[in-house]
Formats: sequence, C-alpha cells, structure tokens
Amino acid sequence: MALIQFSPLTLKTFKRFRSVKRGYWSAIIIISLILLSLVAEVFVNSRALMVSYEGEWYFPTYGAIIPGDVFGLDYQYETNYRDLKQKFNDEDSDNWVLLPPVPYNAFETDLTVGNYPPNAPSFETQHYLGTDTVGRDIVARLVYGFRIAIFFSLFLLICNYVVGTAIGCLMGYWGGAFDLLFQRLIEIWSNIPFLYVIMIIASIIVPNFWSLVIVMLMFSWMSMTWYMRTATYKEKEREYVMASRALGAGTARIIFHHIIPNTVSIIITFIPFSVAGGITALTSLDFLGFGLPPPTPSWGELLRQGIDNLQSPWIVSSIVMSMVLVLTMVTFIGEAIREAYDPKKHTIYE
Amino acid sequence: MTAYFIRRFLLIIPTFLGITILVFTVTRMVPGGPIERMLTEAQLASGDQVSFQSNNQGIAGSTLSESQLNQLKEYYGFDKPILESYGIWLKNILLLDLGYSTRYGEPVWESIKQRLPISIYYGVMTMLLTYMVCIPLGILKAIKHKTHIDNISSILVFIGYAIPGYVMGIIVITIFAFYLEWFPLSGFTSNNFDELSFIGKVKDILWHSVLPLIAYMSGAFAVMTFLMKNSLMDNLAADYVRTAMAKGMEFKTAVVKHAFRNSIIPIATNFGENITLFLAGSFLIEKIFNIDGFGLLGYESLVERDYPVVMGILVIGSLLSLIGNILSDICVALVDPRVRFGA
Repeated sequence: MALIQFSPLTLKTFKRFRSVKRGYWSAIIIISLILLSLVAEVFVNSRALMVSYEGEWYFPTYGAIIPGDVFGLDYQYETNYRDLKQKFNDEDSDNWVLLPPVPYNAFETDLTVGNYPPNAPSFETQHYLGTDTVGRDIVARLVYGFRIAIFFSLFLLICNYVVGTAIGCLMGYWGGAFDLLFQRLIEIWSNIPFLYVIMIIASIIVPNFWSLVIVMLMFSWMSMTWYMRTATYKEKEREYVMASRALGAGTARIIFHHIIPNTVSIIITFIPFSVAGGITALTSLDFLGFGLPPPTPSWGELLRQGIDNLQSPWIVSSIVMSMVLVLTMVTFIGEAIREAYDPKKHTIYE
Repeated sequence: MTAYFIRRFLLIIPTFLGITILVFTVTRMVPGGPIERMLTEAQLASGDQVSFQSNNQGIAGSTLSESQLNQLKEYYGFDKPILESYGIWLKNILLLDLGYSTRYGEPVWESIKQRLPISIYYGVMTMLLTYMVCIPLGILKAIKHKTHIDNISSILVFIGYAIPGYVMGIIVITIFAFYLEWFPLSGFTSNNFDELSFIGKVKDILWHSVLPLIAYMSGAFAVMTFLMKNSLMDNLAADYVRTAMAKGMEFKTAVVKHAFRNSIIPIATNFGENITLFLAGSFLIEKIFNIDGFGLLGYESLVERDYPVVMGILVIGSLLSLIGNILSDICVALVDPRVRFGA
C-alpha cells in the first residue's frame, strides 16, 4: 500500500522520464553521489573506521576525538591513525586499524621531508589523485568540496523557489500596481552586475555558508519569479480558477490548491538547471577568491590552483573532470525532465 | 506599435536611474574606497607605521593631515551627501563626461575606449561563428533527428553547455596551449606585433583568438543549436509543409523554401540579446586568457576600488543591455509581421 497515491498523469510523466536513458541514469548516479557524500567521512577521512586495541573495539569516525594515549601513544591530542596502523604493523601485534579507502581529510597537509607539494598521484602514499600545492589530498578536497557545493546549491534553490513562487504568484494573481512595481524592481535588480556586488560585499564581511546563500539569493530570485508570474497569469484566466472563486475560495486557497499544483511542472523542470547554476556560481566565486574562506574545501579554489600550476596536471585534470561529469549529468537530468513533461512528437518525413 | 516602442524606450529612464542610484550608493557606503586605499599606500610608503594597524586606528593615525584629507575628499566628491554627489555625477553623465579614473588619473572614457576594440572583436567574432556553426548544425540535427549524428552531437553540445565558459577556457588552455603548444597561452597579440606585416598581424590575432573564442562560444552554442533544431522541427511538422510535400515538392525544397524561412525567426530574436555580449563578454574568460577587454577592466577597477571606472562601465553596459532588449523585440516585429506588441 503506497503512502502517497500518484495520479496516473504523474506516473506517465515518470515513465517518460525513465525512458530517456541518459537522464535517468544520470539521476540515479547524482542522487547516489549526494547521499554518499552525506557519509563521506566513512570513505575519505583521516580517522580510522575501526581500531581493535587490547581486545577492545573503537569506532572513531563519528563522535569525540580519541586522544593518542588511549592507544598507548605518548600524546594527548587526536590519534594519528595512519601512524598507529604503521606502529601496529611494525609491532606485529594482534591490534589492528581499519582505515577508510582514502585515509586523509580535507584539511591536513601531508608533508614529508625533502618532498615539496604538489605531489603526483601515487598508490603508495594513497594520494590517488595526488596532493595540492600545500600538500592536501585532492580526493578529499574534491569529495568535501562536492558536498559543500551541492548542498549550497540545493539550499539556494529552495530559498529561490520559495521566494520566487511567492512573489511570482502574487504578481500574476493580483496584477495591477503590485505587478508593475515588481516588474520595474526586477528589471533594475537583474541589470545590476551581481558579481560586482558580491565582490564588494565579500570584501567587507568574510562570507560563511549561510551568509553566502542569502547574498546569492538576493541576486537570483528574479528568474523563478518571472516564470511563475507568467504561469500564474495564464492559469488565472482558466475556468477552473473562476469556478473555484465562484464557489467561494479565497486567494490563498486558489494559489496553493489550484494554481501551484498546476504550475509544478515549470518548477520541477528548472530544478536541474538551478542546481547546475548554483554549483557554477559558487565555483566562480571561490575561483576568484570571493567565496567561502579558506581552508574550506572548494572546487573553485582547486580550479584556481590547477590553472596556476599547469605543470602539475593532476590538479587541473581531476577538478575539471569532476566538474564536467557532475555538471553534464545534472544537465542530462534537466533534459530528461523537460522531455518527460513536454514530449515533443514531431512529424518526420521519410 | 510605434507607441509601444516609444513607451518601452521611455521606461529605460527610470530603470537606468534605479540601477545607477543603487550601485552608486553601494560604492559610497562600502568602506575601503579610493581614499582609504590611498592612505594605506601613503602609510606603506612612509613606512613609519605597520600597515595593518591603520584600519583600527582609522584616519586619526594616518600620515595625512586633516586638511589634506579634506582636500582629497573634496577632489573625489566624497564631502557631499550621497544624493547630491549622485546628482553631480548624473549631470556629468548627461554631458557625456564619465569622470577620471582614481587609479590612473586618466579620463574613464579613455580607459574604456582602449578596451572597446578588443571586446567588440571578440563579441562580433563569437556571434558570427556561433551563427555560422549553429544554423547549419541545427538544420542537420533536425533533418537527421534521432540518428547517430543527432545523438552524438547532442551529447557534445550538452557537455559544452553544462560547463561554464571559463572552465572550458581552462580545458583548452591546458590541452592546446600548455601541452600541445599549438596556441599561445594568453594575450591578444604577440610581443613583436608591431613588426609584422598586415597579413602577419591578421594571422597573429586569429592565432591568439582561437582558444578564447572556443571558450566564449561553448555556452551560447547549445542554446542556438537547439533553438534552430526545435524551431525547424516545429515548422516541418506544420500543415503548410505537409501540404507542400503532398503536392509533390521535394523534401529538400520544402525545407529550404518553406520551413527554413520561418524557423529562422527565433534565431533573429536572439540577435538583440547578443549585443550585450559584445561588451560584457565574460571577465572570467578574459582573466584566464589575459585579454585586456571590457570585462577585465571592470573586474580590475572593482578590485582596485576605482569607482568612476566601475560606474562608467555600468552606465555603458546597462544602457546597451536595456536597448538590446528592445532591439530584439523590434527584430521580432520586423521579421514576423504576425507579432503585435502592446496589445
């Protein structure tokens, strides 16, 4: 028994979406990547997954730090599990350490004497994509950078759509002076070069995740508002809206129960493109140095390092490949969703 | 309809005022303006104070005297309230005077004029090439709908669309300039540009512009190609083409003589929007290729807090985009007599 009953129309749309193979598979991959990134600590982390010491098991991944003296080391700060593993191996004892596949976190610098970063990829040191210019593991930077970028983009999207739908629906539904006022406002607002203003703001306050979402929201709510305004204008004129008004429904009920469910296809169609836009915007800001402050793992910062260090090709190629893959897959999803909602059946001449 | 367009043109005025007032106010309210920058520089030069302390101590601890400071403020017009100085600035704009750059001391118009040819060159080339490639490609994709040619080119075009232009720039620089060394890494001309013959100069510029043009085009490319493809397919499915086919016209003739003409309309409407591209370009692409264009000028002057230049670029940029929007509507009306605005 399904909890939510989908209408036959929704099911048909979903079926059409599944029939666009590259979009469907991209959606599965991207959603898995997002979910996996939530537990990225399990795969890419300097903390061990499991330590067996003197017959006791420890799970250091989540939770408070375990100081070194717990494992018989001579320091009080957090255990270095890579060294611990080495030590247990050397001692040939029954104690063992299970490290994640990539045993580095995004912040630590892995420096060895006489070896200047960036270091090339190597299986021996388990830096599978090498290190960046200060010796941080690139896989770790990429994974945690992805998590920040995608969730930044998703939060921005939710804020944008809430603001855009609210203002857009009211503009379309009320029309008149309210519509005219916001039309001018949007025209002025969208002509302000938003990167300029963000750069100015970023030079006054050091942005954090949420303040950057708010600043970006200030300059990106317009496009959704505009689409929703047009859609509401169209829907408002139709008979079912008139009928429900004749039955005594108020503005709120008409908008939430009738107009928004009927315009939901517009909202959904734009989601993938907004996600791609959000990632691109954050990356550009970080690239210029106006985004999240260092040492936050960030794709833009890696891109900057890549272009500045072309002689270390592993930096630029890994970040560019990640961006191309993620953004292309997101775009494929967008294409498939559009195809699902608006299947274009054309006459074809043989 | 003339009345409609006149009304549209008149609406430029309040919008333009709104944009400039907003940015003007922002530049005034923000700390770290040209005067603060000069003070820091003066302090650094005199060396009697550690520069990072100057922020906390403010003006009191600076090396300039009160009167000198006031002179500076007066020179830059910072001594008046925002609205008053905005009025003065606006009056100068109406007299076509953009003011002086605080960084170079030369007139803002001079700085902009130097960069204009480069930006226009890239803008025009990008637009021409985009049209020259996208229209035939769109037609091909429409005719070969759902074949291998269509599918493979779709994937390529989508990848180009998905990644931002400057990342495309980084990709082509890495591969073609750094590793293969087929093209130069950056710049608009070679160092020995002045010694070259005319043909040599043309070759040199083209050689330098191959990679940036790829970066500029990658985004617009997808939009135009799919616009062309979809609109041609819509027209091919229309009744008048079916009639023409039914009367025994060859498919090729039907496409060229009937469907193509009508499907060009949406492409034409895009023309006006491209005008802004002439100038705006993308400062990220310009930054990566180190092209001394309009976008890079804007970015640099913003970083250096050279507000007269920022405002000058804003004036030209926003005017062009506002006019460009109207022009694209005029284009629609000209190309398609069925379109009626202002109903």
